[in-house]
Amino acid sequence: MTPQTSAQEPAAERRGIFTPELLDRCISCGFCLPACPTYSLTRDETSSPRGRINLMRAIETGELAEDDPTVVEESSFCLGCRACEPVCPAGVQYGALLEEWRDHLWQGKQRSPKLRPMLWAVDAPSRVRLMGVPRRHAKGAADGPDPGSASLMLGCFERVLYPRVSRSARELDPDLSVPSSQGCCGALHAHNGELERGNELARELGEALPGTIVTTSGGCSAHLASVLGRERVRELSEWLVEREEKPLEQPAAPRLRIGFQDSCHLRNGLGVWKEPRELIARIGEYVELPSAAACCGAAGTYAILRPEDSARVLDKHLDEIAEADLDVIAVVNPGCYRQLQQGIKRRKLRTKVLHLAELMAGVR
Amino acid sequence: MRTATPSADALGGRLEEIVGSDHVRSDAGALLTFSTDATPLERGHPDHVVFPATTAEVAEVLRVANERRIPVVPRGSGTNLSGGTVPHHGGIVLVLTRMNRLKEISVDDLVAVCEPGVRTIELAQAAAAERLLFPPDPGSQTTATLGGNVAECSGGLRALKYGITRDYVLGVEAVLATGEVIRSGGRLVKDVAGYDLSRLLCGSEGTLAVMTELTLRLLPAAEASGTGMAYFGDLADAARAVSRVLASGILPVTLEFLDQVCIGSVEDYAHIGLDTSAGALLIFGQDGDQHAIDNDMARMAEACQAEGATQVRIAGSPAEASEVLEARRAALPSLSRLEPLTLLEDATVPRSRIAEMVEYIQEVALRHELKIGTFGHAGDGNLHPTVVLDPADSDAVRRAHEAFAEIFGRAIEMGGTITGEHGVGMVKLKYMQRQHGAEYMALLRRIKAAFDPNGILNPGKLGS
Repeated sequence: MTPQTSAQEPAAERRGIFTPELLDRCISCGFCLPACPTYSLTRDETSSPRGRINLMRAIETGELAEDDPTVVEESSFCLGCRACEPVCPAGVQYGALLEEWRDHLWQGKQRSPKLRPMLWAVDAPSRVRLMGVPRRHAKGAADGPDPGSASLMLGCFERVLYPRVSRSARELDPDLSVPSSQGCCGALHAHNGELERGNELARELGEALPGTIVTTSGGCSAHLASVLGRERVRELSEWLVEREEKPLEQPAAPRLRIGFQDSCHLRNGLGVWKEPRELIARIGEYVELPSAAACCGAAGTYAILRPEDSARVLDKHLDEIAEADLDVIAVVNPGCYRQLQQGIKRRKLRTKVLHLAELMAGVR
Repeated sequence: MRTATPSADALGGRLEEIVGSDHVRSDAGALLTFSTDATPLERGHPDHVVFPATTAEVAEVLRVANERRIPVVPRGSGTNLSGGTVPHHGGIVLVLTRMNRLKEISVDDLVAVCEPGVRTIELAQAAAAERLLFPPDPGSQTTATLGGNVAECSGGLRALKYGITRDYVLGVEAVLATGEVIRSGGRLVKDVAGYDLSRLLCGSEGTLAVMTELTLRLLPAAEASGTGMAYFGDLADAARAVSRVLASGILPVTLEFLDQVCIGSVEDYAHIGLDTSAGALLIFGQDGDQHAIDNDMARMAEACQAEGATQVRIAGSPAEASEVLEARRAALPSLSRLEPLTLLEDATVPRSRIAEMVEYIQEVALRHELKIGTFGHAGDGNLHPTVVLDPADSDAVRRAHEAFAEIFGRAIEMGGTITGEHGVGMVKLKYMQRQHGAEYMALLRRIKAAFDPNGILNPGKLGS
C-alpha cells in the first residue's frame, strides 16, 4: 500500500461543512450504486451516492472548490430519496450529509430562484393557513375520550392541493384532533439548503400539535421524526395498523387492483413500508410493482427544480402502472400524488391516483 | 475546470469523436470520483473517463491510446478491493457500464452471452427465471459487473462446491491493447483448439485486454437448498468443525464463518437476531434434492456439535436462509461501523490448515495490538482478516501493514496464496515474487508484452 497514493491521509484540513462522523462512515464499497435512481439512469459513478460522497469529501478538504460545476450539479441532480441508506451495510446517513451539503452550498447565487417563493409560502404558519382558505381540509377538535392525545398534521401544500386527504384521515380516526394554528413541518427547508430553519419549523409544529403527531405525508413524518424524535410521530398507515381494533370489512364491489408507491423518506428514513401494503391488501387486490420502492421523481421540490430529470425517473413507474393495468395507485405523500397524477394524465392511463387515506375512507 | 496539458485536450477531443461528447468526462469532479475504487488508501488521477457502448468503440479508444502511449484502466462498477481499477498512472478510465446487454440465455446450450457491464445479480436472476444457476456469487454481486468478475476471477460463497468464475467462462471477445478484436472459446464445454486464452484473460485484472463479450456457463438449478447456523466459543472451534464436515464426505454448497467482531457488526446492520455473545458463527448449507439436503444438513449439524457448537439451528424457510446469507455478504462493509478504516485481506490456505491459520491471525492481532475481525469462506480456506482502525492513527496503519505482511508470509509457507479472490492489483504486487519466484514474474512480463507491447493496459499492476 503505497503511501503516496493515500486518499485518507489525516493531514488534510477539514472545512467543517460536514459532520466528520457522518462523512467518514463511507468505505466506498459501492453497495449503494444499484439502489440509486440517478446512477441507474446514467451508470456514471459521479452520479452515485459513493461518487457524491467523494465529491463532498473533496470540498470538505478543499481539493475541489465548493462551486465546482460538477459539485453544484450533483448536489442538485441527487433526488435525495435516501434509497442508498437501507442498502448501506456501513450505516452511512446519506440524507443527513445531503442536507449539510445543500445547507452550505445552496446559498446566494447557487440557490435556484424557483425555491424562494415555495419556501417563503410555507415559512410562516399564518401564510400556510391562508393557503388553506377556503378551508376544505379537516378541522376541529377530537370528539374522542382523550382529546389532545393525538393530532392530525395538515401539511402545507397537501391542505391546498388535496384537502380530501386530511378529511379522509379524520374519517378513519375521528379521535384525531386538528389544531388550526399549525404551519409547515420544515422538511422543504431542510432539504433545500435551510437546515436550521427547517428544524425550527419542525419544533414549532411540535409545540402546535399536542400528543402524537399523525401525518398523511411520508416526507413530513421522516423530517419531524428526525427533529422531534421517532416516538412523537406516526405516519397514518402505521397509526392505523397500530390502533386497529376491528379489521376492515371486505368491500362488496369487485375487488380493485391496487398498486402502491412508497414514499422514499417513509420507507428509507423511517423503515415504514409493510403497513400501507397490509392495509391495501385488506380492501383490494394488492399488486406490488417492480419499482414500488423506488423514487417516483417527485422528491420534494425536485419535480419543480428539475422537471426533465424528474420525468425520466418517473417513466419506468408509468410503464409498470400501464402494464399492470391498475385500477388505483395509492400514495402516502402529496409530492408522489401530484407526480403520478400528472404522469398518468400525460400518458392517458385509466389508473386513478388516490392517497391511502382517501382509498380507505372511500371503501369504508 | 481542466488542468490537463494541451495534448491531453486534443486527446479528449479525439475520444469524443469516438464515443460521443456525452460519453467522455474530463471535468475535475468526475475525474475525482473515478480516482478510487473500493480499496482503502489507494488513489490515482485519471485524465479522462470514457464510456464506450460497443466493441468497435472500445477498439478505437485502445488504438488511439496505444498510438499515444496513454494508460487505460478498464472498470465496471468499481467494487475492486485490491486497487485493481485505481488509475495510478493517470490516463483513461474505460468504464464498461454502458455495455450492459444480456444478449442471450440458452436453455439448450446452458450458456449465457452478455456484455461486460451486466451486473452479476442480473445474470443470476435471469438464469434463475429459466431454472438455471450461475454459481459465482461474490459478496458484491448486487453491484459488481460480470466483466469485473471475470477480469478479477471472483470467488464467492458457493466456491467450495461449484468453483469460481474461471470455471464458468467458456468464451470471451476481447480487444487487445493494440485495438485488434479476438475471440477465444465459445459455447462449447470441450474445445482445445489453441491456448486457453479465455482462462488466461480470466483473472488478468485488466492488464492484457479489454473483454467486450462473455460467454458463460450455466448449470441446471438445484431443486432446493438448506441453510443452517452453528455458534461456537471461538473461531478455531468453528474451523475444526469445518474440517470435520469436509472429512465426513460431504461437499456443502456453503461453509462460511464469522468471528465475534463480525457477528456484532453484521447484527448491528441486519438485525436478524444473531447471537452476538458467541465467539464464532458457522453458516453451513447444501443444495440438491430435498432428501440429500436433509441428510447432509443433519450430518453437518452433528459435526458441529461434535466440535463443541453451543447452539445449532436450521433455517426454517428460504427467506430466513437468504437473510443469513445476505447478512454474511455484508460482513466487510458492516465492520466499518466499528472504525472508519477497514483494511481487508484475502489470504487463503489449504482447507486442512484453516484452524491453524485462524489461530495465527489471532496471535498476530494480539501482538500488533490491532482489532482484527475475521470472516471468510471457511470451506475453501479463503479468509478475510480485516483490521478496523482510525485512519488518523498512522502508527496503527503501519502496524496493520506489518501484520498483513506476516499473515501473507505464513499463508505462503502453508502452501497458500496471498489472494484467494480479491486479486493482486496494486496492493499485493510486492508479495507476488515471494509467492511465485523471479522466473514466474519474468514470464508474466513476457506474456503481458505479447498482448500489450506498449504497456498501456492498467500499468503498474500484473505483468509490469
